[in-house]
Amino acid sequence: MKKPNRYPIGIFLTFFTMSAYAAEGDPGAFSSLLTSISVGVDTFFKDYLGWFVNLIFYSVPVGDTAFPLIVGWLFIAAIIFTIYFGFVQFRRSGLALGIVSGKYSDPDAKEDGEVSHFQALTTALSGTVGLGNIAGVGVAVAIGGPGATFWMILCGLLGMASKFFECTLGVKYRTVLPSGAISGGPMYYLRDAMAERGFGGLGKFLAIGFALMCILGSLGGGNMFQANQAHAMLTYAFGVPAEFGVITGVVIAALVFSVIVGGMPSIASVTEKIVPYMAALYLGMGIIVIALNAGQIGAAFGAIFDGAFTGAGVVGGVIGAMIQGLKRATFSNEAGVGSAAIAHSAVKTKEPITEGLVATLEPFIDTVVICTMTALVITIAGLNVAPFDGADLTGVQLTAASFSDSIGVFKYFLAVAVIMFAFSTMISWSYYGLKAWTYLFGEGKATEMIFKIIFCIFVVVGATIQFGAVIDFSDAAIFAMSIFNIIGLYFLMPIVKDELASFVARVKSGEIKKYK
Amino acid sequence: MKVKDTPIDLKKALLQKGPKFRSHTIIFNENVADLKPTISSLLFCVIYIVVGLFLLLLAVIVYVKNHQLDFTIFLGAFGIAILTFGITLVMPFVKQVTFDKNRGSFRNNIDRKVELGNIVSLQILDKVITSKNGLNYPCYELNMLTKNGRRINILNHNDLVQLKSDSEKLADFLSVELIDLQCEMVL
Repeated sequence: MKKPNRYPIGIFLTFFTMSAYAAEGDPGAFSSLLTSISVGVDTFFKDYLGWFVNLIFYSVPVGDTAFPLIVGWLFIAAIIFTIYFGFVQFRRSGLALGIVSGKYSDPDAKEDGEVSHFQALTTALSGTVGLGNIAGVGVAVAIGGPGATFWMILCGLLGMASKFFECTLGVKYRTVLPSGAISGGPMYYLRDAMAERGFGGLGKFLAIGFALMCILGSLGGGNMFQANQAHAMLTYAFGVPAEFGVITGVVIAALVFSVIVGGMPSIASVTEKIVPYMAALYLGMGIIVIALNAGQIGAAFGAIFDGAFTGAGVVGGVIGAMIQGLKRATFSNEAGVGSAAIAHSAVKTKEPITEGLVATLEPFIDTVVICTMTALVITIAGLNVAPFDGADLTGVQLTAASFSDSIGVFKYFLAVAVIMFAFSTMISWSYYGLKAWTYLFGEGKATEMIFKIIFCIFVVVGATIQFGAVIDFSDAAIFAMSIFNIIGLYFLMPIVKDELASFVARVKSGEIKKYK
Repeated sequence: MKVKDTPIDLKKALLQKGPKFRSHTIIFNENVADLKPTISSLLFCVIYIVVGLFLLLLAVIVYVKNHQLDFTIFLGAFGIAILTFGITLVMPFVKQVTFDKNRGSFRNNIDRKVELGNIVSLQILDKVITSKNGLNYPCYELNMLTKNGRRINILNHNDLVQLKSDSEKLADFLSVELIDLQCEMVL
């Protein structure tokens, strides 16, 4: 019997009872109590984790603005991978589409329980389409102006090479257990592939560093940002006071806890089935809004391109717009961060390159298509005006306001979608975080329970504290993962280059057959 | 009745999923053996029921205080959905599962009742539970085999010590053979 389970559950139940009673009894006092909790947590968070944010976003002056080195780190890596792999994301796009369509899959040789590349892509995409596309774009254009969209698109196109690279390695160096279960991701390829190349010590260090940052990333972008924006959406759609975030946090935390405690049919399985429909709903709403304002599409693209190269109204001008675009694109598509390699390593294929090529489609659809669609909706609505300093509407509230500007009822659909996206993303990231946690501390009921409780506490913290603190920490944690991942990737480039050359040669020679 | 000549694979798990904690114990009371849900399994389901009720309560408060219909519907819909989910989750746990020597039958309100005299043996199996969003963990089944070749699951949880203890007592109670079919599991 898992005794530790009882205590958090007891706390949740007590909180529910108290808060409901308090809300009925004396709303003024209760509101003040929640405000003081919110401010207290916010202050504590800034005081104790501000150093981490400052360290990750260490900046150098470029023109009249400060350029975070970490943004350049990811951007330059994507450029290098694009060139090194011979623009694989563009030159092999036909091959990638062929793999997804099943052209190279033998219909008679399918293993029991095998997940096709198309299924893997749709599963990964339904997980990728989320608050990064909705709230992230809202942040990018609120601070970086419409021009940030151009840099997001560019980052998405270049990020395709990073995704190709890390997902190929994720499959190549995964661990397949006799039970059929698969473990993969940067922890494994940094450790094993680096050892193969004669850098075992450095590989172990990078794997540990990545795992540490992955834990923080799961608590930041995969948790706090989601909870924060879920409550922000409720604030926008229904006028829920911001200080009531702690209640939203506790409700979501209770549901998350029930899922990650494990082993029962849970609300996660229901959410998993609903999320793809939510993604389709979001796309449908975007297409409707753009279609209704078809006459303004040209002007919107004009504003995007103009803003990208003039930086008008943006703090830091062009560089400011670029920073926001690159930041938010990375946050949305996670290219170079390493998290995708964990998710993609579960696909059943004998050819790691095939999964790498399929993965290139992800940043394209996520960033180039969906983020651009969101940016167009926001730009067309015209609610985001200079100066772009984020002081007015930002994040999910800007996106929601822009959607409901065309059709008012859309804010309700968005509210449901945002809650679902936030919840499903938390569940996915709790798994990434738990994998990293057990990589460092080993598997065991007690150690796993510690992580799960910490994860749930951060849900409440994320929903409670102010947006600025959340976005800073979430960005810092996600970007920190890329430091260790990309150092390792530089060492491992030849492995994937050889793998790609071999695969392409075998396709050309007919050794890898076409079945369609 | 058609007689199948396909062999029964006793080592094949009956259920794909299973909890990561002890879900039931068997309580013996003279001529009756009952499955009783544990506190932890009930608490797990209660989370959904409490969250659902809490959201419904909030919906009522919002409507009474502000007459805000849209938020009331939003909270109410989520509350009803989560509450319904919780109730459907708790149902299998509280269902009556009984081996009754007085009536000479086994009932679980899912399968057709089984005459106790038709139970041939009990088997303990192990399996690995894998999921997309969680670490792998072992889980164990106690199944019974009837003379007609039916296999029915009795227990399905992750506490092997308790499951073995319950299985031995149940085998004694029914005077049938208990077969341990566990393989070596590698997680």
